[in-house]
Amino acid sequence: MVLASSQGGPPVLEMVHVAKSFGGVRALVDANLTLYSGEAHALLGENGAGKSTLLKALAGVHKADAGEITLKGKPFEQGSTKDSIEQGIAVIYQEPSLFPDLTLAENVFIGRQLTNSGLVDWAAMEKASRELFNRLGVTLDPHQKARGISIADQQIVEIAKALSTDASVIVMDEPTAALSSKEVERLFTVVRNLREQGSAVVFVSHRLDEVFALCDRMTVMRDGSTVGSALISETSENEVVQLMVGREVSDLYPKLPPKIGEVVLEVHKLSLEGQFSDISFEVRAGEIFALAGLVGSGRSEVIRAIFGIDRYDSGSVTLNGKSLPTGKPAASMSAGIALVPEDRRQQGLFMASSIARNVAVTLLKKLSTWLLVRKRREESAAEQWATTLQLKFASLDDPVERLSGGNQQKVVLSKWLATEPQVLIVDEPTRGIDVGTKAEVHRLLSQKAQQGMAVVMVSSELPEVLGMADRIFVMREGTHMGTLNRDEADPEKIITLATGGVIAR
Amino acid sequence: MRAVTNLFRAREMPVFLALVVVVAIAGIANPAFLSAAGAIDILLGVAIVAILAVGQTFVIVMRHIDLSVGSLIGFTSFLIGDMYAQGYGLWGGLAAALAVGLAVGAANGFLVAYLKLPSLVVTLGALYIVRGVFNDYAFGRTITAAMVPPEVAWIGLNRLGGIPYLFLIGLSLVIISGLVMRRVKAARDLYAIGSNPAAAELAGIPVARRVFGAFVLNGAITGMAGAVMLGRFNAANANSGLALELIVIAACVVGGVTIAGGSGSVWGAFLGAILLQAITRTIGALGIPQFWQQAFNGGLIILAIAFDKYLNSRVKTTTIMGSHND
Repeated sequence: MVLASSQGGPPVLEMVHVAKSFGGVRALVDANLTLYSGEAHALLGENGAGKSTLLKALAGVHKADAGEITLKGKPFEQGSTKDSIEQGIAVIYQEPSLFPDLTLAENVFIGRQLTNSGLVDWAAMEKASRELFNRLGVTLDPHQKARGISIADQQIVEIAKALSTDASVIVMDEPTAALSSKEVERLFTVVRNLREQGSAVVFVSHRLDEVFALCDRMTVMRDGSTVGSALISETSENEVVQLMVGREVSDLYPKLPPKIGEVVLEVHKLSLEGQFSDISFEVRAGEIFALAGLVGSGRSEVIRAIFGIDRYDSGSVTLNGKSLPTGKPAASMSAGIALVPEDRRQQGLFMASSIARNVAVTLLKKLSTWLLVRKRREESAAEQWATTLQLKFASLDDPVERLSGGNQQKVVLSKWLATEPQVLIVDEPTRGIDVGTKAEVHRLLSQKAQQGMAVVMVSSELPEVLGMADRIFVMREGTHMGTLNRDEADPEKIITLATGGVIAR
Repeated sequence: MRAVTNLFRAREMPVFLALVVVVAIAGIANPAFLSAAGAIDILLGVAIVAILAVGQTFVIVMRHIDLSVGSLIGFTSFLIGDMYAQGYGLWGGLAAALAVGLAVGAANGFLVAYLKLPSLVVTLGALYIVRGVFNDYAFGRTITAAMVPPEVAWIGLNRLGGIPYLFLIGLSLVIISGLVMRRVKAARDLYAIGSNPAAAELAGIPVARRVFGAFVLNGAITGMAGAVMLGRFNAANANSGLALELIVIAACVVGGVTIAGGSGSVWGAFLGAILLQAITRTIGALGIPQFWQQAFNGGLIILAIAFDKYLNSRVKTTTIMGSHND
């Protein structure tokens, strides 16, 4: 793919020597980003590298302390989010930012509703958003409320919003993190169309395979500065990873040789109406057992039922030969099971509480005397884990919400590892976290398994499943399709099973 | 066709149906209830709550609440009579009522919008402060019929085509506000703010200005509603409007104005006000002891919330957007 515009025309956006500090923390030191019309541009970097801060400066959420931003040849006015929108910047944030109670049409035009003699013109908005949805190749009802639509559809609405403002720069912050592979394909088609229509698309993703499949150029950031920019066609994944971490990543999946022991967890004919049926498996001490399948195949539902968050209709869960009651997370916890949920912001962390409190919350019994929690003990327990996990933080008293996504995930992990469980269940352990942290999380899981912990892992990332698991249990639409051993598994077999095909043996 | 389906799908529909059922029951049990006099009684009783519920709707759709309205309306109704008695005339009293309403609304709005204090606490404080100032100002005095401006008294007593003027004032406010909330951009912003406050900021909506504006508007409506209250009772004292805010909020909630923000209409709140009033009268008409009325209304509030919860849970929530509790 050759870029006409990047060879000739002037850039649509230039950000030069942008700096930004929060208190004493320098989030951006020397950030540079150049965009041309009609390109898909990957912005890469580990969590905490400054990508989000740079994009927020563009979005009008933060004001840069220093640096120059030029948009379409004119100096860019840094004011409010409204100013940025009016200058042609559209940002599609990682966290959904739609209004669940408003219709899709109003979501597209919110803040800039179409009017007719001063009054909001609903018919015109519905017509215009229907046209936008058609242009994006999706059938969404503009009259429908946004509540409950899938993340993929939410993004389409956001993109329609960007189109309706005639945005010249469209930023997508990790748009694929929560999408199934089919939805990713649809998004890619949309991005390619946007590019052909002359928009500059900034694409933030931790999945390098996607970046290489979609983007034309890329910019890499590290520690608040831009460290490199290149045409995708002239670089390689290895080179990009090296730029991102500033060092060689020796092994992305540091799997240690397993020491498989006795059966610890036994799941027998577990069924829940409408979610999954007849799920049976055994997990042994020291084993990493992966549940693979497409998004929505019922994997998360199964582990929620095992842990006791949801009740199941029939079947049994046995730990060390003792049967666990259904629907009782407290019983599972005291029996020695821990669950690290997928949605860490809502289910895994107390965002406003300190790091120390978050780590220690599962240990309250151990740390208390006479019902009172001993703060010293809480801190020392947290400190120990912070060191083990190489957590990056200013103070253990800082609220967790100030940490980057990768570090938040480490806090969730340490919180549960601190209970020294026999069985650790992790749901998408590395979703949305950077390459470096990913490797650390993998190393940790592998270590814990070698020390005898049984690990049950739900993951949508095939390399992770193939790299980490001893056995792979593939599900589709709530049923078991097949189990693969580490030595026989390959991406093709997993996908065949997950999509309903049969493997010729 | 779509208009018809929309009408039946509207959140206001069950409130309206409940109203029809209540009136039917009361009418069968006691035909006098369906008489013109009975209906007028309900319309007259509903006017004040309906007006305040309109103002409150602007606040509740933003996921906020204003508890100060009962104290405020009591104070301004007293003020209008007192100013008239002291020779400032009708317009002097109305101007003072509007000024007090604007001031209380602006104080609430400033603390909530710009200092980001929780509206529940701010307006609870305002409830007591306004009531305290009011008690000190009234100092045991009462406004008697002789002190009520004659225009106000006239409006409180008379009807247009058989319908009380007070109710018509409420109805016109509902019609105008209904149009505003549906068709004016700034009012649509209020729904967006209540539906997802963080996203509202990102969408470039001037959140603080809108929140401030809605509190000021509610203050102004409440201040002016003092005149309606004075016309209705033809008297006022230091206890006027006591605990009225709770009835107002009840009317909104019963009428489908979701306390979690983002949805509901002034029409719903209006129907909610009428329904509560009709139930009060029905219980009287059926000869049930009056104290059951409060328990019944309480049950209705909980039912309304449960109903909204049910409506939301019916929508397939496969995404993290389903939750309102964050």
